This record gives sequence, C-alpha cells and structure tokens, in this order.
Amino acid sequence: MFKNLHTKPITALFLFILIFACSKDEDPVPANEEEVITLVTLEVSKVGSSEIIKYNFEVEGHDHDDHEEEKDDDHDGEHTEIELEANSSYNVSMFIYNDTDPNNIENITLEVIEEKDEHQIFYAITDELSGFSIKSASDDTLDSNGNPLFNKTTWTTTGETSGDVVGYLIHEPTSKTGNTRTDFGGATDFEIEFEVHVKRNFTSHYK
Amino acid sequence: MLKEILLHIISNLKSQKYLMNKSYSVSKTAASLSILAAGFCYCQKCDLQFEGQILDLHDDSPISLAVVRVLDNDQTAFTDYNGFFKLKNQCSGKINLKISHLNCEDLYQELNLNKSVFKKFYLEHHIESLNEVIVEESKIKELSSTAHNYLLSGLQKDRYSGSGLAKALEQISGVNILTTGNVISKPMIHGMFGSRVGIIYDGVQIENQQWGQDHAPNIDQNAFEEILLVKGAGVLKYSGDTPGGVIVLENKLPKINDSLYGKSILSGISNGRGLNIVSSWTKSYSNGNYFKAQAMIKRIGDFSAPKYILSNSGTNENNISLSFGKNKILRQWKTNFSYFSQEIGILRSSHIGNVNDLVYAIDLAKPTIIKPFDHQIDLPKQVNKHYTTGIQYSKRYKSNGKLNAKYSWQRNNRKEYDVRRGELKNKPAIDITLNTHDLLSNYQWEKSNWSLDSGVFFQIQDNYSNPDTGTRRLIPDYLKTELGTYFTAGLTPSNNFSLGFGFRFSHQNNHTKKYYKNKRWNEGNYQDKLGAFVINEVLNQKLVEQRLIFNNLSINTGVKFALSNRLNLSLNLFHTERAPDIAEMFSDGLHHSLATIEYGNPFLRSETTQKFLVNFEKEIGNFTYNISPYLTNGQNYIIIEPTGIEYTIRGSFPVWEYRAVNSTIRGVDLDFSFSLNNSIKLRNSSSWIEGFERTSKAPLINIPPFTSTNFIQFSIPKFKSFFMIVSNKITLNQNQFPNHNFETSVVENGVRLNKLVDISTPPRSYHLFGAELHWGPYPFFSDKVSLSLIFENIFNSSYRNYLNRLRYYADEQGRNMMLQIKISH
Repeated sequence: MFKNLHTKPITALFLFILIFACSKDEDPVPANEEEVITLVTLEVSKVGSSEIIKYNFEVEGHDHDDHEEEKDDDHDGEHTEIELEANSSYNVSMFIYNDTDPNNIENITLEVIEEKDEHQIFYAITDELSGFSIKSASDDTLDSNGNPLFNKTTWTTTGETSGDVVGYLIHEPTSKTGNTRTDFGGATDFEIEFEVHVKRNFTSHYK
Repeated sequence: MLKEILLHIISNLKSQKYLMNKSYSVSKTAASLSILAAGFCYCQKCDLQFEGQILDLHDDSPISLAVVRVLDNDQTAFTDYNGFFKLKNQCSGKINLKISHLNCEDLYQELNLNKSVFKKFYLEHHIESLNEVIVEESKIKELSSTAHNYLLSGLQKDRYSGSGLAKALEQISGVNILTTGNVISKPMIHGMFGSRVGIIYDGVQIENQQWGQDHAPNIDQNAFEEILLVKGAGVLKYSGDTPGGVIVLENKLPKINDSLYGKSILSGISNGRGLNIVSSWTKSYSNGNYFKAQAMIKRIGDFSAPKYILSNSGTNENNISLSFGKNKILRQWKTNFSYFSQEIGILRSSHIGNVNDLVYAIDLAKPTIIKPFDHQIDLPKQVNKHYTTGIQYSKRYKSNGKLNAKYSWQRNNRKEYDVRRGELKNKPAIDITLNTHDLLSNYQWEKSNWSLDSGVFFQIQDNYSNPDTGTRRLIPDYLKTELGTYFTAGLTPSNNFSLGFGFRFSHQNNHTKKYYKNKRWNEGNYQDKLGAFVINEVLNQKLVEQRLIFNNLSINTGVKFALSNRLNLSLNLFHTERAPDIAEMFSDGLHHSLATIEYGNPFLRSETTQKFLVNFEKEIGNFTYNISPYLTNGQNYIIIEPTGIEYTIRGSFPVWEYRAVNSTIRGVDLDFSFSLNNSIKLRNSSSWIEGFERTSKAPLINIPPFTSTNFIQFSIPKFKSFFMIVSNKITLNQNQFPNHNFETSVVENGVRLNKLVDISTPPRSYHLFGAELHWGPYPFFSDKVSLSLIFENIFNSSYRNYLNRLRYYADEQGRNMMLQIKISH
C-alpha cells in the first residue's frame, strides 16, 4: 500500500518534467527600449526671422547602419557647433526623441511637458561664453508652481565669443531653480554639450 | 446514529476480508444493531465493543500475540495472526490502555469511548536493530567528516530571525555580508559570494538569480531548524561549484508520537519602526505522520542613519511554508511547499542618472533626498517571489544503506522597478522568471568506521526575461541542463583519525538566445567568433543562439587528527571547477546605483580554484581556541572590472566587463573563548583576508577588511533565567583595494572642472558596540516565554561599510533597539 502511494506521484513528476523540459524553442521577442533618449534637437530661429535651423544631437543606441563609418567617434554629435550672430536674440526650442525604431519615433518632449513638475531642463553656460545669456521664452512651459521648464528659451548674444553650453534634462529634481547643475539634484536623463560660436560677420543661413 | 451504524457495517465488511470466521462478523453486525437500540439511552453503557489492530510502526505489518489490556477493568485481549483484537462489554467513558509485546516497548494510551470503535495502534518493533539508527539520526548531522562544521545555535538563530540569513551567519568568523543598502544582504565566505557560495535548503541548492551583488537569497531561514555552514568548497553532495562554501538549511524529523508543538517569535524593531512575527507549528501522530506549518510577516519602514532618515529603505516580507510527511524510521517521505514574497525599497538617493550625479552624491556626503519617515515603499524597489515545492522519499535497508530520492521545483520571479518616466513608471525595468527542476537520488552506506555516499542529479533551469519592460534584457533567455554524479567517502579507522575523499562531476549545457546591439557587437569584435551563431537581425540588434557546454570535475580530500585529547588538526584540499554563470557571460545593462554599464564576456571558460584549509583546535582548561588559515589559488577566476568609458546621451558611464584572471586569496580565521569563572565568559572571533591577482599583484575588489568581534557574557549564578552579552566589533580600514578611480568633466558655476570619481577608496575603520539581555524561559500557562532586549550600534556611530554597494550615498543605520518575545508552545 505504501509503495503504491509513491510510485504514482513520482511518475506524475517525471511527466511534469518532460512537459517543462521542452519549452525553449521559440525565439525571444526583441525588447524595445522605450525609455531611452536617443536624439535631442535644438530648433533655432533668429527673432524676427522665420527660418529654423535644426541641430541634432544623437549618441547612444545610434548605430544605424548608414553611420557605420563613424563608429570610432564616440563623441559623435557632442561637438556639433551652433553658430549665432552677435548682438542678436534667438528662439531656441528643445525637442527630445527616442528614434530607436525609425518607423516609430517617439516624441518624449510631450511626456516631459506632461510631467513638468518632475522634470527640469537646465542650460549651464561656461564662463568662456561671455556676454551670452539664456532666458525662459514667453511660450515656455510652466510647472504647477510657475517655474519655467526651459524647453522654449531665448538666447541673447552680444560680442564675439565661443564656448560650451551644457544642456541637462533632470528627472525628479530636488529643486526647480538653481545656478549650477548640483543645485537641482535629481537624476540626469541627458547631458549634452553644445559648442556655441558667436560671430560678428555672419554669412551663414541667417539672413 | 444511522451514519454510525452504516460505518460500522462497512468496517465489518472490510474486516471480513481479513477474517476467516464468518460467523464472527455476523455476530458483530448483530452487536451493532443492539447498539442502535441502546443508542437512544443516555445512561452509561457497558456494552460497547472496542476493536482494533496492532501494527508495526515501520512497515505496517500486523503484530500478533500483542497484549491489549484495559487498565481500568483489567480486561485483556491478544491479537490474532492479523494483529486484530476485540474487547467486548466496555463501558462508555475514558479508558486507559496498555499495549505490550515481547519485542516492543509498551504503549500506554488513553481513549475516550462513547461508541463501539475500531482503532489502529502502532508499536515500535525490532527495537534492537533500530537503536543504532535512532542514535545516528538524532546526532548533529556532520556535513563533512574532515572540514569544520559550524552550526548556528538556537539562540543566535532566534536572535536574527528577523534580520535575514546573511546577518545570522555573519557571527561566524570568516563570514561577511555584502550588502546593497540595509536590507539586501548576501553571505560572503572567505571573500567569495553569489554563485560561489551555495545555499542548500532541504538538500537542494536554492536558485534565485544569486549572481547579482544586489540579489539577496530569497529564503526564509525560519522555516528551518538547523543552519549549518562549511567554509571553503565543502559539500560535494550538494554542490561542486561553490569554492566559497556551503550553507545548509535543514529540518529535523519530528518524533513519532502524538504531539503538537511550536514556537513564535515576535520582534519589535525601533530603527525602521518595524515588526517581525515568526511562527512555526508541528503536529505529529503516533503513526509517524506529521504536518508542519510556518509563517513569517515583516513590516519595516525607512531605516535611519544617526543623522538622517534613509528614505525609501523599508521592506515588507510575507512567507509561508508547509510540509507534510510520514516518518517510519526505516522509511520516510515528505512533501513540502513554500512561498516567499519580499518587497524591498532601494535608497531613493542611490538612483542616479550619470557619473556626474555620482560625483555630486560623493561630494555631498549625505543623501540627496531625505524625506520624513514613512512605511511606504516607493520607487526604486525590488519585488521578489520564490516558490518551492518538492517531494522526497528515503528508505533504509537492513545492510545499513539508505536510499534517498527527491524532486524539487523552484520558481523565482524578480522584478526591479526604477524611477522612470511616463507610462513606464509602474513597469518593472527587470522582470525575470527562473524555473528550476531538480531530480536527485543518492545512496548512503554507513558502517561504524566508514561511510559512503553516492548519487546522481539532474537539473533543468529555464530563465525567461519579460520583454515588456521597456528596457533591454539584463540577462538573456536561457535553458540550462545539468547532469552529474558524485561520490564521497569517509573513513574513521580510529577515534583520533579520519579521512575523507569525494568527487563530483557535472555536465552542463547552456542554451542561450541573446540580442546583441550592433554597437556592442562591433566594439567587441564579436563577428569573427560569434558571427556563425547569428539567427536573426532586428532593429540594430543581432539575435545569437549558442549552446555552451561545460564539463566540471571537483575533488575534495581531507584528514582530521586528534593529536591529543584536546587538540584537533584537520587539513583539507578542495579542487573546484565552476562554469561561469549566465550573468558573467551575458549580462548587458546599466546599473543605476553605480552608474556603470556592465557587459558579460561570452568567451569565459570554467573557473578552477584550489583551496587548502587548515583547522587547528585546542582546549586548555577553560580556554579554547580555533585557528584556521587558508589559501585559495584561482585560475580563470572571474572578476569584473572597469575597462573604459562609454559616452551616451545621458552622459559618460564607466564600462565594467567580466574578465578571467589568476588569483590568490588567503586569510586566517581565529576564534577564542575563555571562561573566567561561572558568571563571566569571554569570546573573540577575528578574520583577516587578502586577495590579489597573481600576475599584476593588483588587489581584488570587495575583499573584507580585518574584523574582530569581542563578546563578554555575564550571568548571575543565583538567577538562572537571565544573562547578558556585551559585544564590540572592530572593522579596520581596507588598505588593499584596486584603484578604479577615474576623472570626469563637470561644469560647476560656469567653470569646467575635471573631477576625480573616487569609487575605490574604502571607508574609514569603525567600532560598533552592542548589548543583548536575555530573560527566561518562564512558564506561562502551558507555554514557555523568553524575553530578549537587543541593542545594536548602541552609541549611534556614523560609519560606512566597504562591502555596501550604496556606501557612496549614505551612512549605515544608526542605533537600533529590538524587543523579542519568544513563546515555545
């Protein structure tokens, strides 16, 4: 009687193992990176002009096969130069995308604007860029406390200069205002260096 | 009443099968009918019929010629050839029985008779031959005949019932804990952790993604009565790939009698304002059946460092385990089920975006986010669930051999939640499910001076990473199959000499399917070596299917001498081969707490280590000491270290990759104890260890610094129910560490600076003081109650621990007071 009691469960268990043992045949689904930011675009237009220049900054996750020849340049995009005219004002809009899947480019800007209380864009201007300032634009997004998000900004130039502007997107900042990155706390979602050149005799795209 | 009669008739019909005498059964039915008539009368009846059968406890065989005697009226009956007996004309009410047999121990039993019944009784037969067995089963199980076995005392086990397995084991010299925050803790033995340390429950290794530094073992040690430890390689019966050591959690078999007992421990914890309740119950029956149930509930809020709250560091835990079995001494079977569920908050400030955030956190020297205390667990967090179930059977043979067979199934699900944006907020960033099936069988053969144990094992393990997390898989999907065998032998030619030998061979087949990013593929030059295995290409990713086969042979050998009455020396040599685990070969992802990108190395081969362990034990009067030096040489020893910086749109990240090196780890564990007099005992446990790469002499990372713990135990001979322990733990500065510091460029107040990211320098040394006051046990109704009051970090010192992965962000927890009420039922 005792023996019978045990042969049955053991047989059942063997069957159980057999069923479980053959289950790794289909290929895993590729996991989509839904959260990553792969492309940040600055749309720059001189106040009074309708022409918009787009500057793309893309790094990680960005090995489209057509970029293959650039694969050695890790700093790809980091030193894209933004050329501005002296004694002028520019409207600069920041757009944030995830273009991992080229057929389904996700505009993360909308998400950031929706969660404006939990995000902050901050531009740190290095001292070399003298006489250069960035202010929140009139059409900037305000959070529930009236703090500007800085996704729409006005950049004002005076004399000739050049230097770096570091743009940050900060997630869950501990403070929404500050003068330097550490004042904001939080986690950095992106950190991009924009190399800005302000020139007097400007003959490029801006007329 | 009618039901009763029907049952009676059925039982009569049943007994007809056994009884040759038909007229007997007819008269019995008549008797039943007379009871039907009598049943309407409520006076004391003396016409009840008491029948039964006496069976052998071990094999259910009937025992003939046993004497059943009703002590109240001196009526007796003998059992027939089939073990049946019958006593007529019994009065209703309590009767006392004595059942005796020539070869058995007498059985006394009280019985409440209010109707005619049929009952089975079990007697201990062939006691003579069993004595040996019982003695063997009841002594502490030695995991190794030559290496030192450590058993956690009942007091220590209860004391740490709410603190997790690793903390309980930390009391043993040479055992450290590797932590991530305050709750997540892993045992580290002789500088090794994770896949190099085996945790065995009920004879099976726990499989719960133990590879990660932030993956604590998903097990409730309170479900087990004994916690044993063998330092260094250890027990080939259970594992051959654990050069660190083996932790074995086991349950004793309940005694064969009718009893119900249990234990409950209630702990109130001041730091974290938490509560921990553990309760376990065992019900056993005289026929060998038993049932065990155990449960645990833990709720702890945010812990506090001396100067601030450690926001989001709380934890919740709910565990339950059930087992049911039959113990027939010569034969046992058991089936069990357990569920472990844990939610752990991860220090909010440790979730950072990039290296510059890390620099800021290190410079700030306190957490960036400090909120008021609460019990809420927010993001980031871990939610872990572990289910186990299994069935085991063992049988002892007359030749003193014992056969065991076991099947076990474990299912582990780990979800890790990050601080995320938008719709992904409540989606885990990691969601992995690991299913493991084990089938084991072994045969033990024991004689007075030697023992052999040989077995086979088979394991299937399936890992599934949920693709809906919105992140790339940290660990790929895989199917692992392992098949193997082991043999161990212990020989004790004389009382002062024993010899041990064993080997374990395993064949492991890993079938993996992993997506490689094209970028990584090109940087790692994988095309030459892995190009042939690409089975699909999608969205800048290549799907690579590989079958990796590892054959490993581990060998242990050791001797133990008793040089004199009070002096023991043991020497053990372990050769261990370990297949690289899936994480070491294939991990791929970002670790938020260290802002590092971690890459596995798909070309790793099996790691081999040789460990030489000496244990020297001496007793001089009331002074005992134990010195245990060891030396481990590793080839293909797998370590992870930084190899470069990856620039991403988030900022820069150091890349850490797995690599195989030749390593040496050596150290010594010391334990002293000294009884000053009847009331004062002194104890010290110290351990020193160093580890380095043999070729470059560069130190290994995460090697514990020198630690020394002193205990003074006071008791007052007059008051037997009280004692007190004062402890002091010294942790020195770790001076030997690999320098992985690097520089990063930050812009602060308009100025570009190059800042050193000091992730390598270990924190300063520290002293911690603690005290424990224990009262009891006191009788309380039918139970026994003990009380303990425990103080940890009594002087509220601020310190950081080198072995805490979150040490860059916050101090360790401050003063804690714990009140424990223990009730033995």
